Amino acid sequence: MKTFKLHIYIVAGLLLLGACKPEIHTPKPSAGSVDFSRYIALGNSLTAGYADGGLYLAGQQVSYPSIIGKQMQSVGGGAFTQPLFSTAQANGSGYLSLTGFNADGTPITTPVTTNLAVRGLLPVPGFGNVTLYTKYTGDINNYGVPGIKLMHITYAPYGNLNGYFERLLPGNAPTNSTTYLDFVMSKPFTFFSNWLGNNDALSYATSGGAGDVLTDKNTFAALYNVLINTLTAKGQKGVVATVPDVTSIPYFNTITVSAILAGVQKANPNAKALYINALVSGSTYAPRVATPNDLIVLTFPTSKIGQLVATPVGNLPYGLTPYTPIDNQYVLDEKEVALTGDYVTSYNTTIKSVAAAKGLAVFDAYTFLQNIKLNGMVVDGVSVNSNYISGGLFSLDGVHLTPRGYAIVANEFIKAINDKYNSSIPQVNISDYNGVKFP
Amino acid sequence: MRKILLLVLTAAPLLAFSQGFQVNLGGQKQIGMGHTGTGIVQDGASVFFNPGAVAMLPENYIQGGISPLLFKSVFNPAGTSIQNHTSNKVATPFHAYAVWGPKSSFWKLGLGVYTPFGGLTDWGNTWQGKYVLESLDLKAIYIQPTLSIKLADWMSIGGGFVYNHGSVDLTRAIPLANSSGDPGQARLKGGGKGYGWNAGVYFKTEAGITIGITHRSQVNTTISAGNAIFTVPASLQSSFPQPNTFSSTIPLPATNSIGFGFYPSSKWILAMDVNLVNWDSYKTLSFDYKNNTAVLQDTHSARNYQQAFSLRGGAQYKATDKLALRFGGGYGGTAVLDGYVTPEVPDANRVYGTLGLGYTVAKRLDIDISFEYEHLMKRTQTNIESQLSGTFKTDVYIPGISLAYHW
Repeated sequence: MKTFKLHIYIVAGLLLLGACKPEIHTPKPSAGSVDFSRYIALGNSLTAGYADGGLYLAGQQVSYPSIIGKQMQSVGGGAFTQPLFSTAQANGSGYLSLTGFNADGTPITTPVTTNLAVRGLLPVPGFGNVTLYTKYTGDINNYGVPGIKLMHITYAPYGNLNGYFERLLPGNAPTNSTTYLDFVMSKPFTFFSNWLGNNDALSYATSGGAGDVLTDKNTFAALYNVLINTLTAKGQKGVVATVPDVTSIPYFNTITVSAILAGVQKANPNAKALYINALVSGSTYAPRVATPNDLIVLTFPTSKIGQLVATPVGNLPYGLTPYTPIDNQYVLDEKEVALTGDYVTSYNTTIKSVAAAKGLAVFDAYTFLQNIKLNGMVVDGVSVNSNYISGGLFSLDGVHLTPRGYAIVANEFIKAINDKYNSSIPQVNISDYNGVKFP
Repeated sequence: MRKILLLVLTAAPLLAFSQGFQVNLGGQKQIGMGHTGTGIVQDGASVFFNPGAVAMLPENYIQGGISPLLFKSVFNPAGTSIQNHTSNKVATPFHAYAVWGPKSSFWKLGLGVYTPFGGLTDWGNTWQGKYVLESLDLKAIYIQPTLSIKLADWMSIGGGFVYNHGSVDLTRAIPLANSSGDPGQARLKGGGKGYGWNAGVYFKTEAGITIGITHRSQVNTTISAGNAIFTVPASLQSSFPQPNTFSSTIPLPATNSIGFGFYPSSKWILAMDVNLVNWDSYKTLSFDYKNNTAVLQDTHSARNYQQAFSLRGGAQYKATDKLALRFGGGYGGTAVLDGYVTPEVPDANRVYGTLGLGYTVAKRLDIDISFEYEHLMKRTQTNIESQLSGTFKTDVYIPGISLAYHW
């Protein structure tokens, strides 16, 4: 009987030990000097959660504003509602999916074309076709609109030219006349994040300097002041982010001049150089030999190289002679890189000075992504860098981020907010977020 | 041309032994007295604590015990209020000894089987550090034949040969998501062996104080062909060839001890031990995979451990002829420098207290129970290699029971 009792005690003791867990006492998260009750996010595709060349539900659900909004809830933040696609139309605009690798290790991507939220195609005279998406009605905290530039925020017809913005507006294109800024301001808020401005440089760069123009520096400064003055008119606090260096993304660093040339030389050892149509000055372009400082876009169809092209001097291989240079749209050449860099530096000077004048927090995305490009980064045992697919940070389009990338960015925003406002919004666990999905 | 190098998503398991893996649970009588036993003679556990003292045992012994160990860690990632706990798993360090010699002879033979190193940590597959470690089950079983000789009434020496069988089972998530977004996993599982020795000397001084000095050698344990199992998305499997094996050598460190016994009355024994563990032999942890690819490279992780010491003290009070009460405690310094702390054992300076009770249930049969509580100080760290940043805190609970038959 006595030993039986002893057994009971031992078993009870072990159970008790099993139940007691060590705890680390952390200070209660605090809002510092800020009211986070209604947080809104302004921005473009990065803010919307765009990834893999499209906007779709799974990407929206890991947008950095949605991560920040969720983390803010422990410091008095309210519900954070996004204009999500429905589950029936979860694939939104469609996107790219990685479906395998070729024997040489290059990826095979396949567009996802089912369960889209496409409503129709609207031809706009003098502009082109605008894809329209299923309307979203409901509360909005995430005002991220893929494609929007800072230049567009006060442009009344914009709601007829951008299907992602049109989708949020009550009216149908082509009858819309609400500017982006007015739309955002239509409901009161207490805190904002703003990451507009990327496309003012990026759209020019991704089109190889051929399909778009850089927003004028003074226009950028004027609009940025209008934007921030409007957003802070009632004393609202916020965080803004700088514009990343366009050359820090894999879209410009994956297909290189030397790699293309090496491929050509395998078949034809006599090939000496690639030719590109490069910027001379102003809007004058002329063919010249490509150098490693000329950046080839990720979407360049490399199979074009060497194909015979009819010219006044006969049929010549594409990309390999001064008569048949690689088209401008595929190359951000050295001078275009410098030009873009100059504009981005100017935009960022504006962003930082306006933020400083208004006492706003700043996430310096330019420096952050530049640093990752140069040094990579290790987060909780995971190596991330700016390499295409393997880097884990950028999605299949080479411009937008993976869930892991967006989670890392969300934490950088949170750190910037906490530093500025003496708050302690908890950071998110980046290990919960994946990189590129492999088949 | 669009060649992509799937860069070094290093599948480098960061295995570490540390103070935390030196379990020292060599005998219930000794645990009860704060893990002291180098400078006193209690029972067959002297084979472990001081082979030099075995010849001083007045009787022959056969005994065995077990000390179920609950290692409970918590991790609070920097900048969050998240608490990651290890799951409740019970490791089972054990020990068994046999000591025999002719009555009143000058020598005794001993055999010990014990588990001086081991660890069982399971953080699960959803925590912040899952790409560093999910779980680790590590065992080292030492088998030690021993000979001890009494040179004089006041002095004996002894030594033993150590054969170690070690095993490891480690899992870690790999940051390569499949089409459902789930990460891959690396699992390293294998057994290996190593050899070593130990030796000790034991004195009874004229002042009535007993002294023991021992050296337990380093045991390089080599796992030569463990299974390296990689679960990754199918399109990447060729970069992680299967089946594959790994080899790795881990230096289980040498331990130097000196211990003292004091006997203020016939009812009391006071004991004190000082240990110096040569963890500084543990510079690097390397894993050599048999089949390497551009992605799966051999790994070499810096460990740079330093020598660590511990100080232990304890007492036994013989309440009656049959009943002994014991208590003790100690302090151990960490072997792991700042920046090298890993979740396998979130090592830190530690304090512990022990209680014990011995009862002679029959003429030649002792039953001993012990309980130990060990607390590892809170330690806030950013690991240099993984950048895992946060605060660790650990409590260890070790009940134990043993039976000893002596004649």
